[in-house]
Amino acid sequence: MPHLVVGGAAARRVITLAHGNGGRFMRELIRDIFARHFCSDSTADAALLPRFEGDAMFTTDGFIVDPLQFPGGDIGTLAVHGTVNDLAVSGATPRFLAVTCLIEEGFEIARLDRIAASLGRAARDCGVAIVAGDTKVLPRGQGGGLYLSVSGIGSRNPGAPPGLASIKPGDVILVNGTIGDHGTAILLARHEFGLHGDLISDCASVAPFTIAAEAFAGLRFMRDPTRGGIATVANEISLATKCRVTLEENKLPLQEEVSGICDMLGYDPFYLACEGRVVAVIAPGQAAALLAAWRALPGGGRAAIVGQVETGRARVVLRTALGGERILDELEDDPLPRIC
Amino acid sequence: MTEASVWLDRIRSLPLPARVRILNVCGGHERSIAMAGLRDVLPPEITLIPGPGCPVCVCPEADILAAIRLSQDSENIVVAFGDMLRVPANVKKGELRSLAEARRAGADVRAIATPQDAAKIACANPLKNVIFSAAGFETTAAPVAAMLAEGIPENLSLLVSLRRTWPAVAMLLESEAPGFEGLIAPGHVASVMGAEEWQFVVSRHFVPAAVAGFTAASVLAALHGVLVQIVNNRPSLGNAYPAFVRREGNLRAQTCMAEQFADFDADWRGIGAIPNSGFRLKSHLAAHDARQKFADIVAGAAGRTEAMPPGCDCARVVMGRLSPVECRLYGKACTPRTPIGPCMVSDEGACRIWWSAGQRHAA
Repeated sequence: MPHLVVGGAAARRVITLAHGNGGRFMRELIRDIFARHFCSDSTADAALLPRFEGDAMFTTDGFIVDPLQFPGGDIGTLAVHGTVNDLAVSGATPRFLAVTCLIEEGFEIARLDRIAASLGRAARDCGVAIVAGDTKVLPRGQGGGLYLSVSGIGSRNPGAPPGLASIKPGDVILVNGTIGDHGTAILLARHEFGLHGDLISDCASVAPFTIAAEAFAGLRFMRDPTRGGIATVANEISLATKCRVTLEENKLPLQEEVSGICDMLGYDPFYLACEGRVVAVIAPGQAAALLAAWRALPGGGRAAIVGQVETGRARVVLRTALGGERILDELEDDPLPRIC
Repeated sequence: MTEASVWLDRIRSLPLPARVRILNVCGGHERSIAMAGLRDVLPPEITLIPGPGCPVCVCPEADILAAIRLSQDSENIVVAFGDMLRVPANVKKGELRSLAEARRAGADVRAIATPQDAAKIACANPLKNVIFSAAGFETTAAPVAAMLAEGIPENLSLLVSLRRTWPAVAMLLESEAPGFEGLIAPGHVASVMGAEEWQFVVSRHFVPAAVAGFTAASVLAALHGVLVQIVNNRPSLGNAYPAFVRREGNLRAQTCMAEQFADFDADWRGIGAIPNSGFRLKSHLAAHDARQKFADIVAGAAGRTEAMPPGCDCARVVMGRLSPVECRLYGKACTPRTPIGPCMVSDEGACRIWWSAGQRHAA
């Protein structure tokens, strides 16, 4: 039996330092929660990976979202999708994940179970196997409840985009759906500023969209606009290509709730995080066809051509709905801490 | 609601004078203007001037220093709205220049989103003094008054730096050269205090004015209203934010504020005292007034500061006398990463807004 914390009638099972000590509690925790939900072998120290076709691609990411559960997902789904998406936008088919859980002492085991279950489900839905993992317990007060560190291996697809260096003036920029949903959903989930709403995070795998894009020979580059949003991706493109990047405000797909909250709080939606979106840069002749392909996919109904790469001074310019222009600079400081 | 582009067309078709300068007095308006790129698309005759719309920017430096000093006592927790934390004071090298720096050095300084958060923190820390450094305009004063009316924990005190907006505009209008021909009045302030509060601009000074909301469409609608008044030479007070702003405002909020606060001639950073422009706690709240409870520390911080760092033109920017890009430090020594003046720190500061809209040099 794990340690009992007596809290009146609501006695509940929680994580203790003993769950990280390598002993019986830890073994049982791994068996009952991680091995069960991740469908992985908990006894080996290292996983033997089956061979696969194509070059291996490797990525790693940390997840520290607050709150841990939010409309449309939780830190578990976020960790899977965040890692899988980094592989997908790089032109890889995600195959294996390693998951490290850093748990704060006192964390409710039932809650850990729910998060591990949704993490496992998300991994299965994405077709990736969780093949390795680790658990550490931090003393109370030294962690934010639960942090996850996830690494992923994928196999590089034949249609993987050549990358930033291949982008030329005239190329067209697309996004596969509304922007800023995740950042706004997190903000709402915190109930700060007295705000409430039904907005759901876009947290999802972008693999169907990246696979569709890889069918086009003119595909140059893909990236998931997570922290820093679409403005940050545009800045990366501008910086690497030394070209001007122009985004069209009235073409950027925005949910009404997102633009309303941004108006109210003075946030710029172009900098807000997405967790199920991909930005693609493609040769101008194939942009319309890629747009049609994306719009035909489930969840792709609001995909849009949002801008283009142009000759001119290297900067990101937003052409506003009224025809004015303003520069979307690199983010100076984080508008929303701990969102992904 | 009429769309922004329609208002823009209507403005473009007006027979404008050669030069017309319109002042706004709200960081939210300035943000809408900058983010929609309105200055690019309006006829060249129109100059939009950001005026006194940033309460954090005019918070006296002495109050910031007092808050920093109060945070140095381990018995104290200092709470403030996020903007306040980063506002720099003008101190000697090596001394703490902002609440954020004090926090990094180990002080218990916390950012709050609403006044109620201050009360919650005080309840959760009954053995500590919680000091709420409260800077803001009427829109902040109203919820602070509401919190006070509900009754606050014994260990919570307030360092009040709350200001009224209209006296700053009155001061400009009474000066020799006000520097503007029309006014866009602040929608949030007017929703609390009533559009009526801005009537003096029209009746006493014959300057056209209109209350605006916070979308580009609402700002353009108000601007159109002001320009029509200018063109016809018939000043009146327009309201382009009728859904939220009534003539008399929110009477309950006003009553509540009057019960908790008294007016006084308050200092504005770098500008000096403006008659009847400040709220201070009434005497029944003396036990919660940080200025009395910690009189030594607050008084000690008052006697020693320069208003603004050398070369910093924030005070003139706040009053609309200078545009952000005209400040010698703008974009050079002073950027959001290394802010020197408060206007580059606060999200409502004109310099910060212009910088985040990508304005790097004189237009």
